[in-house]
Amino acid sequence: MKTVLKNTTRMELRQLPIRVIPSVKRTCIVAALLLAVLNSANAQSSILDAGIRLQQTVNLYSENGIALSYSNKALLPDRLYFGFSYATSRLGTAFNTYAIKQDNYLVSAAWYFRENHVIRPFVRLNTGYFSADYVEAIFNVLPQSSLLLSSDFGICFQTGLPLKISTSLGYNFITGNGLSGPGTLFPVFYQLTLSWNIFDRTKLSHHQSLPQKLKL
Amino acid sequence: MKKIFLISILLLAFAGCKKTPVIPAGDLGGGVIMDPSLTDPAAYRISVSQPKPTPAQAQIPVIICCHGYTASTFEWDEFRTWSNGTSKYYIDQVLLAGHGTTYANFQKSTWHDWESSIMNEYDLLVSEGYQNISFAASSTSCTLLLDMISSGFFKVNAFNFNTGMYNKIHIFLVDPIVIPSDKNLSLIGVLGPMLGYVTSNNAPGEEQYYYHYRPEETLQQLQDVLNQVRDELQNGVQLPDYIYLKVYKSIKDPTADPVSAVLIYNGVKTSSGGKIDLDMVNSDIHVFTRLSLVPNVTALDIQNQIYAFTDITTRIFQ
Repeated sequence: MKTVLKNTTRMELRQLPIRVIPSVKRTCIVAALLLAVLNSANAQSSILDAGIRLQQTVNLYSENGIALSYSNKALLPDRLYFGFSYATSRLGTAFNTYAIKQDNYLVSAAWYFRENHVIRPFVRLNTGYFSADYVEAIFNVLPQSSLLLSSDFGICFQTGLPLKISTSLGYNFITGNGLSGPGTLFPVFYQLTLSWNIFDRTKLSHHQSLPQKLKL
Repeated sequence: MKKIFLISILLLAFAGCKKTPVIPAGDLGGGVIMDPSLTDPAAYRISVSQPKPTPAQAQIPVIICCHGYTASTFEWDEFRTWSNGTSKYYIDQVLLAGHGTTYANFQKSTWHDWESSIMNEYDLLVSEGYQNISFAASSTSCTLLLDMISSGFFKVNAFNFNTGMYNKIHIFLVDPIVIPSDKNLSLIGVLGPMLGYVTSNNAPGEEQYYYHYRPEETLQQLQDVLNQVRDELQNGVQLPDYIYLKVYKSIKDPTADPVSAVLIYNGVKTSSGGKIDLDMVNSDIHVFTRLSLVPNVTALDIQNQIYAFTDITTRIFQ
């Protein structure tokens, strides 16, 4: 992709295949988000949880990927989180099978309750972009992408380490219905995220034991 | 906490209540109207009207027509009418178990029962000597046929001991369902016991041929067979060389999501590993081959129907 863009003028860009330009935009948006997070971060008190996301849609696919979640020390720290996640069936049900390869790009805002507790409920609002790859041109008549709008609520287990384990149940407000929208965009999903606060520079051995630092 | 506990108990009690709809006598399921194939099977099934075919008759193609979930033999009546009593092929309309009778019968039927109706008719025709048997299936019957292929039913039952070869089978799937358009079906396991049944929006006149009330037990069965076949397609299904399969799918479908065609096309390969035949049909009707009682039928809809009927009746001879 880089090679293509280096040798491409603005006029030529307009002539690129339709699917190239959105993917470049997506990459730029994600990169800008990451840079903004990293630039504004303070290693001592801001939080950047990076980890893996394991997602299962009820009566459909498992879709796995990555998750990033950021809380700024100056803006409701450790309560308000902004996140990005990418989950795909390529790393789930569609891995080495004939299931449809589909991708979910989500940005989110979450509110975590019960600061300094081990068990922390949270609610989250997500939006983003969904795309499915039907491979064959004969299916170009079918909708293959959609805006994502969902909400999920769940529980985060905050350990004495920078490790967080969160699980939630979510609902997609936009789904396919046979007349519009991708057919494999289903309403209910649940997910498990295992993440590590990469701004936490404290040596592992210096982390206080769980009962001293956090309340149950 | 006490309130939450009380509400939970009330919800569970509500969910546990038996919910049976009151069905008008003029509707299918009310106990008065029955599918006509039950009272006059010879008019619908060649296995009944002609159980001892001559050697020449045994070579004539038989097309077993199978209807979808909540439907009845009515779904393929137009194909029989269009065929106009031809002697080139026979039409055999199968009624799936639990369908075309009463709500109670439908409620207790399983997808294995529905599938057995198709299997039994095929086995009966084979035992009577018919050697050229094809299928024209719509909606959920397509799902059942895909399962029959994947589970190896034909590997055992299509072998002709007289010729020492497999009988050729043509299978035509019209608006197959693997993914439902109504995604709430995926929640039937949770919502079903609370609802008891759901209703469908049948057009005027359709209530005599399609169940209006859908028991949650059968919706759960539908979800089960969809999951089963989706898994089979994900793992890949290779057709044996004696089975020809073609799919016709409306590009917009309020019942069977068109993405079902993608799953079938990707998951099923011919015996040589090639792609199966598929037509994406410019239609927004579920089971576009049945236009009777469908409101606002257009010239294009009629053209699509005739195309499918012509294509099916041409390909059975290839």
